[in-house]
Amino acid sequence: MAKTKLAGTILFILALTIFLFSMENASAADVNSELSYIFGKIQDAQLQPVKGVEVSLISGLDTNIETLSSALTQEDGSYAIKVPIPILEQSKLLFSRHHFQQTINNIPAADIKQLQLGNSVSFPLVTLDREITPAFWIAAIIFVIVLFLIATGFLHNTLAAFAGTSALLAISYLGSPFLPDLYIFDFPQAITYIDWNVIFLIMGMMMVIAVVENTGIFHWLSYHAYRISGGKMIILLPVLMLITGISSAFLDNVTTMLLMTPITVQIALALNVSPLILLIPEVFASNVIGVSTLIGTPTNILIGSFGNITFNDFLTNLTPGVFLAFLALIVYSWLTYRKELTEEKPSSPLLLEKLEERGKITNPENLKKAGWIGAGMMLLFVFGEKVHLLPSVTALIGASALLIWIRPDIEEMIGAVDWTTLVFFMSLFIVVGAIQEVGLISAIATVIGKLIGENLVLAMIVVTWFSAILSMVIANIPFTAAMLPVIAYLTLIIPGAESKVLFYCLSIGAAMGGNGSLIGASANMITAGIAERAGYRITYKYFLKKGLPALIITVSISLVWLLIRFT
Amino acid sequence: MSGILCAIRGGPSSRPTIATSIQLAQETDEVIYFLYVVNLDFLTHSSSSKTNNISQEIHDMGEFILLSAQEQASEAGAQAEGIIREGRVVEEIISYCEEQSPRYVILGRPEEEGEDNLLSIERLQAFADRINEACQAQVIFSAEKHIPTEED
Repeated sequence: MAKTKLAGTILFILALTIFLFSMENASAADVNSELSYIFGKIQDAQLQPVKGVEVSLISGLDTNIETLSSALTQEDGSYAIKVPIPILEQSKLLFSRHHFQQTINNIPAADIKQLQLGNSVSFPLVTLDREITPAFWIAAIIFVIVLFLIATGFLHNTLAAFAGTSALLAISYLGSPFLPDLYIFDFPQAITYIDWNVIFLIMGMMMVIAVVENTGIFHWLSYHAYRISGGKMIILLPVLMLITGISSAFLDNVTTMLLMTPITVQIALALNVSPLILLIPEVFASNVIGVSTLIGTPTNILIGSFGNITFNDFLTNLTPGVFLAFLALIVYSWLTYRKELTEEKPSSPLLLEKLEERGKITNPENLKKAGWIGAGMMLLFVFGEKVHLLPSVTALIGASALLIWIRPDIEEMIGAVDWTTLVFFMSLFIVVGAIQEVGLISAIATVIGKLIGENLVLAMIVVTWFSAILSMVIANIPFTAAMLPVIAYLTLIIPGAESKVLFYCLSIGAAMGGNGSLIGASANMITAGIAERAGYRITYKYFLKKGLPALIITVSISLVWLLIRFT
Repeated sequence: MSGILCAIRGGPSSRPTIATSIQLAQETDEVIYFLYVVNLDFLTHSSSSKTNNISQEIHDMGEFILLSAQEQASEAGAQAEGIIREGRVVEEIISYCEEQSPRYVILGRPEEEGEDNLLSIERLQAFADRINEACQAQVIFSAEKHIPTEED
């Protein structure tokens, strides 16, 4: 009985507490509903919402300004500022943020009346103009230095980007107390520029690749390419190009060429031909076919995440054009190396025997499991968009499932993740974020926008070729990262570009442009490095001679495809 | 002290060096030791750090290059073995000389100056002196210089 009483008392107290709490909230809501707000949105000259603008409701004259209330704009540039009642008729809104000109707008008389009546009002859209400060030049110079260090190889890519990030933050923190105009951004703001979708997608894929690459699948495929061709170079070449290309569509190009180059050298030695006649077309195929999927190149990963372009979008909008470009590339490679491909040379029985011995799957169990998981991941990439599943989540699910299934040494698997590349991406996002923050990207976007006007065809041609040519000389990853906000602006202002076609143009230009020069893509450098270790030097001149026509052919065909599809 | 050490990289520029070592083996009846050094310095400036995997792949590639050279030697009636090491080429040649004391060391002539061309004409002689100091081996420069062609 006592227990029942106690339980009843507790229940009563609980019910009373909940009732009183809800009454209190209700009265608070009532109070809130009696408050007036000014709602509005802020954008920049590129029509992009501006986050972090301090919006202040002020009154008084120049010398005696009183801040009545203030609020910060959100991700979408919106704000809601509380208005104390009664409101003075000369009240104004003050908009201030680093790297933008401070703006004061009068509140229209009609709105003041509504506010005095206790109603909320919506303020017209405000466009803030950029302010060029010393921070603008510092961020720009640091970005150029990072690009230069990467292009010349004076510092490792990651170290160059990491040092750039440190310099930007050091100047912001240590310089701005003495000269406020040196402020670029603070650390919390800097890390908001890191695209974690990209980082986790790359990380997840690295774990899956680490399992696949140790199964011997590349050796097996290459040996069977030789068998299918019967040693005929004219057949072997397109088969190896296809293997390399398809691998590049799902793995990154550098990993593909790291694995394919030594194997190709072995095949070439066994067949007594120069490895270059196979390697050069292979690396071209890697750079071309990699464009066809969201996960095929780091630039596509960046573009997909920024432009909200799905795996299916890439497949439907780019793959047919890429396939046509690949067919043209095969014909080009046949013609370029026709003499060497048709030459009859005695092969080495000893080396062919060794090739056969190595052309075996070394870990069939793991390959089978990786195959199932890979197929599941493809399904999620393709159908996941229906439930807004991000590609990074698919990659993480796939990597986790694979690791749980095969139970490898976890230390070894974590070691297989290329942290150098991940740190490179994170640092690069911050360096590019800095030039975005200070308004350099906006300035570039405005200039390009004015030059192109509203002509979609012209914009497609300019973006594609501009990206292709620049990717020949500068690293395409930082270039793409910097171009993304520019493309977003062009997509907003050019009629017809809302299909995101300009992002596809950037994808084609940035990736296929890598074929134009030896330094145009990391995969080229890796291939050249390994070929040199086998005594076959790929010089800049040699690569340019073979690569430039390949670039012109493949980019032209892909561009024509996009023009047909989108205009 | 016995044997002929012949460090090779493969490719057309190694042909004169291999030919010289085979000729010497035929004359002296010494065994040729073809040495291939796996050097991953070229990965330094790439954004990839996949050195573990690539090391094994280049090791396999080196084995092929050595097998190819051994096959040539065998066809010419000379006895040859292949050795693979990892590190910097110069250091590994010296280290091998110190450990195995070969009778002869065959060096190729440089084609042109380059990042990886370990030996300019002047440095070649200095390197030969270093080898001699390490193991008293007789250093022989390969007979001809390879002329690069379009195919190379």
